[in-house]
Amino acid sequence: MTMEQDIEAMDQFPLGMRVLAVDDDQTCLRILETLLHRCQYHVTTTDKAQTALELLRENKNKFDLVISDVDMPDMDGFKLVELVGLEMDLPVIMLSAHSDPKNVMKGVKHGACDYLVKPVRIEELKNIWQHVVRKSKFKKMIKSIVTTNCVSEGNSDQNGVRANRKRKDQLEEEDEEQEEQERGNEKKPRVIWTRELHNKFLAAVDHVGVKNAVPKKILELMNVDNLTRENVGSHLQKFRLALKKINNEANQQANLDSQFTQMSSLKGLGSFHHYRPIPLGSSQFHGGAATMRHYPSNRTLAGMFSSSLPRNHNDGGYMLQGMPLPPLETLHIANNNNNNKAFPSFTSQQSSPLVSPNNHFVPEGHQGFSPHLEINKRLEDWSNAVLSNNIPQSNLHSKPDALEWNLFGNSTSPNLDTTNQTSFCRDTDFGSPNAAQADSFDPLQMKQQHENILSPMTVAQLLRSSSGNEGLFMGQQKLENGFMASDTGSLDDIVNSMMTQEQSQAEFSEGDWVWVA
Amino acid sequence: MQRQVALIKQSLFDQGYLDEQFMELEELQDDANPNFVEEVATLYFKDSARLINNIEQALERGSFDFNRLDNYMHQFKGSSTSIGASKVKTECTMFREYCRAGNAEGCLRTFKQLKKEHATLRKKLEQYFQLARQAGPKEIARRPK
Repeated sequence: MTMEQDIEAMDQFPLGMRVLAVDDDQTCLRILETLLHRCQYHVTTTDKAQTALELLRENKNKFDLVISDVDMPDMDGFKLVELVGLEMDLPVIMLSAHSDPKNVMKGVKHGACDYLVKPVRIEELKNIWQHVVRKSKFKKMIKSIVTTNCVSEGNSDQNGVRANRKRKDQLEEEDEEQEEQERGNEKKPRVIWTRELHNKFLAAVDHVGVKNAVPKKILELMNVDNLTRENVGSHLQKFRLALKKINNEANQQANLDSQFTQMSSLKGLGSFHHYRPIPLGSSQFHGGAATMRHYPSNRTLAGMFSSSLPRNHNDGGYMLQGMPLPPLETLHIANNNNNNKAFPSFTSQQSSPLVSPNNHFVPEGHQGFSPHLEINKRLEDWSNAVLSNNIPQSNLHSKPDALEWNLFGNSTSPNLDTTNQTSFCRDTDFGSPNAAQADSFDPLQMKQQHENILSPMTVAQLLRSSSGNEGLFMGQQKLENGFMASDTGSLDDIVNSMMTQEQSQAEFSEGDWVWVA
Repeated sequence: MQRQVALIKQSLFDQGYLDEQFMELEELQDDANPNFVEEVATLYFKDSARLINNIEQALERGSFDFNRLDNYMHQFKGSSTSIGASKVKTECTMFREYCRAGNAEGCLRTFKQLKKEHATLRKKLEQYFQLARQAGPKEIARRPK
């Protein structure tokens, strides 16, 4: 569907939304069906999870949304959620008579968009369509990022709806922009996001705060000729996406780190050396990546984000609220990446000392790391463009604010990538995907440099505080409060605090990644 | 006739057999679904009868697999909640508590109680629906002024 069609369809929404309802309890199923009909959705019901899967597999485009009970005899509801998310990438809402937070958490971890408690009221069902819209928008955004390298860059950027904006006015603004783009539909001259330009952008974002970071305001503040709102919007979108990734990674890393610290009772940087790009070579990462593929990370993340979005109403978008991001597999993979990659940009500039005082987690070189291949692909353009290696160390250490954004760097325009990419890759010995990914993780890692390990809670705090003046800078203040602000700090303390803060790492799972010493 | 029906219904609520959920169900009943509530109730009783049987068998076996019993009861509770069967729901909750405590004696006792409540509710609802049908389905759907 073109954007125009989408927008029109959205006017119709949520009428006629196609829902698949799964519940082994006939009574509940019947009631659910009627409720959904009352909401004017198109309903299909089944009392078997297997049947539901078959229906879904038969035609992926047949349904918009799945509602599933948790306790079912033939298949665990959580498993169904996972599978649907993996295979069909549809939003799934869980239904249960339990309101146990642990179950809710489990649902979220498995990728559920929402969790409803029986008996379900019609009011709750009236709003479930939001998950469909959100998910499809996010998907579009991902697609747009992937295709930003393509010719008509400006347009495609706008086509990717900024998925994670919760605020309706922003949404509307974006829609307008998209419509403009659609109408215009010409190739616009590419904007090259130079470092200066990007700094201005950062300053503007910083000034308005991430919550108020709308392209219009940023554009005004930047006060640059020949820069359109669309350009700013597109840059902002990428920025946010990368930020989200970073936050993900941070969480993952925190999770992973703590797990590893627990495992190996790390002390000091040395242990992190162990984490060096191990799964060396892409093989392991392929494994990891493969695992990741099961959870199309962006989409799942999107799902996760979207599930958290309504609750948190935070533009930073990723209101984890201290919950580790599901699915943990992806997180793990990301963690791998994080740990191993460290700061490509840094290393490139520093000629990468394995352990620099600030880079606790800096591996020697990011070698053959391509953990999240999917993320890689998606972020490739953005990251490559954005994070060229030209992040002066001084910036990083002196100005935390500028720091991360310097990472996001020099150009958002994918087209700039070529030079940056190659040089970047060369420097850091990364394949571009790696670089891309590394880049996206950099800000967080850089932050880590300053603040050491981020525990999931901290990251959550960061995310939450992203609405503060730091804007997107992930609540540095909070971090600093929570952790050692000093660069070196005592790793032990960090590790210990992480360990205590870490919640169940139980789901560390498959993935082929292995920490090789 | 109408009044009688309304009275019976009211008493069911007053006595705690039914709760707001039942009212929600009634809201859902309309011209497109004229006998919705009755249908759901029928489904419920059919389902729950089966569950009760299962539980009974499990209890008779004497092995007291609390997990399994808990599972059954969870299901039972789910559907009872959905239909608004308040007293039955309460018994379910108690039963599960006993399961969790591993209290076999408590389970048996509660189960007896549960069966009783269930049977009572069934009878009462059947009565209610019968009267309601006699009074005329359309009137039921509309709220009395």
